[in-house]
Amino acid sequence: MTALRGWRIFALLGVTAVFACLPLFLPNDYVLQVFFRIVLFAALGLAWNLVGGYAGQLSLGHVAYFGVGAYGMAMLYAHHVPLWLSVLFSALIATGFAAIIGSIVFRLRGPYFTLSTIAFAEVLRLSVTNLPAAGGAIGLSTPALFPPGAFWKMFYLSAVALAFVSFLVNAWTSRSRFGYYLMAIREDEDTAAAVGIDTANYKLRALMASAFLTALGGGLYGSAFQFIVPDSVLSGEISVQIAIITMLGGAGTLLGPVVGAVLLLAASELFKNKFQESHLLTYGILIVIVVLVLPEGIVGGLKQLFQRKTKPPASVAPLAATPAQGGD
Amino acid sequence: MSTILELRNVSKRFGGLRAVKEVSFTMDSGEILFVIGPNGAGKTTVFNLVSGFLHPEEGQILFRGEDITRSAPHVSARKGIGRTFQIVKPLPSLTVQQNVMLGCFMHTGHLHEAEDAASKILDFLQMSHLKDFEARGLPLAALKRLEIARALATKPKLILLDEVVSGLTTSEALALADLLLRLREWGVSVVGGVEHVMQVVMKIADRVVVLDYGAKIAEGKPADVVKDPAVIEAYLGAKYKEMAH
Repeated sequence: MTALRGWRIFALLGVTAVFACLPLFLPNDYVLQVFFRIVLFAALGLAWNLVGGYAGQLSLGHVAYFGVGAYGMAMLYAHHVPLWLSVLFSALIATGFAAIIGSIVFRLRGPYFTLSTIAFAEVLRLSVTNLPAAGGAIGLSTPALFPPGAFWKMFYLSAVALAFVSFLVNAWTSRSRFGYYLMAIREDEDTAAAVGIDTANYKLRALMASAFLTALGGGLYGSAFQFIVPDSVLSGEISVQIAIITMLGGAGTLLGPVVGAVLLLAASELFKNKFQESHLLTYGILIVIVVLVLPEGIVGGLKQLFQRKTKPPASVAPLAATPAQGGD
Repeated sequence: MSTILELRNVSKRFGGLRAVKEVSFTMDSGEILFVIGPNGAGKTTVFNLVSGFLHPEEGQILFRGEDITRSAPHVSARKGIGRTFQIVKPLPSLTVQQNVMLGCFMHTGHLHEAEDAASKILDFLQMSHLKDFEARGLPLAALKRLEIARALATKPKLILLDEVVSGLTTSEALALADLLLRLREWGVSVVGGVEHVMQVVMKIADRVVVLDYGAKIAEGKPADVVKDPAVIEAYLGAKYKEMAH
């Protein structure tokens, strides 16, 4: 919804450059790994934002695409597909998955869509857990995308690149007919259809783009941690995390997913050392806060405060009682 | 004049209820036709059938000679049928102008062209001063106009206005009626649906189709139709039919 004007693009480039330079000054790999996760989840939030934010379709199964990205990369590489091509192909496979599931479930509206995203992701997790070819419950080791020397620096930079691309896709969406159509679908599907929008088709396109970016993130994540099990890259917790990040920051806004990822992951990192598993509690509390106080998220809420004219002031003239320029 | 819309023996059932029973009528392009009838007569169902939101069990609907009986709503919209909703359906968190731009996007992919086209339509409907406000804060009179603006933005050949004046004060309704008369300047034929704001119908309708319990009971010029005993009975009951004579 925000205009991406000239100076904003420069600001964006500047922020990206600063972020990209950070690893040069970071003291150790642990901190760098934390930053990698933050930026990666910002990218995942931005990818989710296309479907969950602009199009308003609450997906709680995005881990399916994330997992296909990670597992696809590992399994294709094991079958002698070149390393980076296996990352790309697994993202394309995830896009194909999205096309299949989307063309089925986007005929449904409301909670049915959300439920079927959860179901699909769970089916995938259980299948992989019981599939010996995918390592079953034991898991798979993944190929390293970067050499050991600059390992985390390169992963961090890749996450920045993915977040940057995802941001550009969001920025373009917010300023294009495609994005307006998605927002119309979010606000009222009947109205969208009445102005000629093929709602199922546009939701599908948004989901496919989202799945592609999410799977690229899954590939990076899988490779960075060198070993994957169903509970690490196909767990429902990741789906929820992606959705919460975006909703906390502001679904349907450009900066929301970035703000959400920084806040949520930094908070859970800080608390993790003090109370184990407390990040789950953090999510629970944040969900309640978002629903009650900030239904439009932090960025959305701030926008409402400072920018948008929600209601016409009482002083606005009522509609003219007779046409201004004569009837004929 | 050429026929723009034709309904041939169209019937629609909801479970055991026949909401529309073998309704037929034709409409010429450029005409302003009103479908009137008491609450529950089937007006909204007729609009939903013509705009593709519902499909009839029997009968045929032709738009500019083409069979659109089973078209999906977005397909009908692209063929040139614009519509408004009885219960207004604005896109609440978008501004008035953005609401209208969504209609404009049917003919342009450029934001600036859509903005310009939307501004012209908002000028016509005398709501330019509201263009930057979110739709959710607007009073009903403005939301009714916004429905028309959004439909008009798709450059329809035919526009279906379902209860477009209901809930408005008489002066608001008459002001809107003046604007509806001017829709012809945009090359649009109009089908209006109205329950009881007869002042508007008498003022602007070329022709009226009267529905009662889903069936067509009368059709003709507004001045003739209101004298029709069957119409008086439908609206006021049998007692008043005798008093009218």
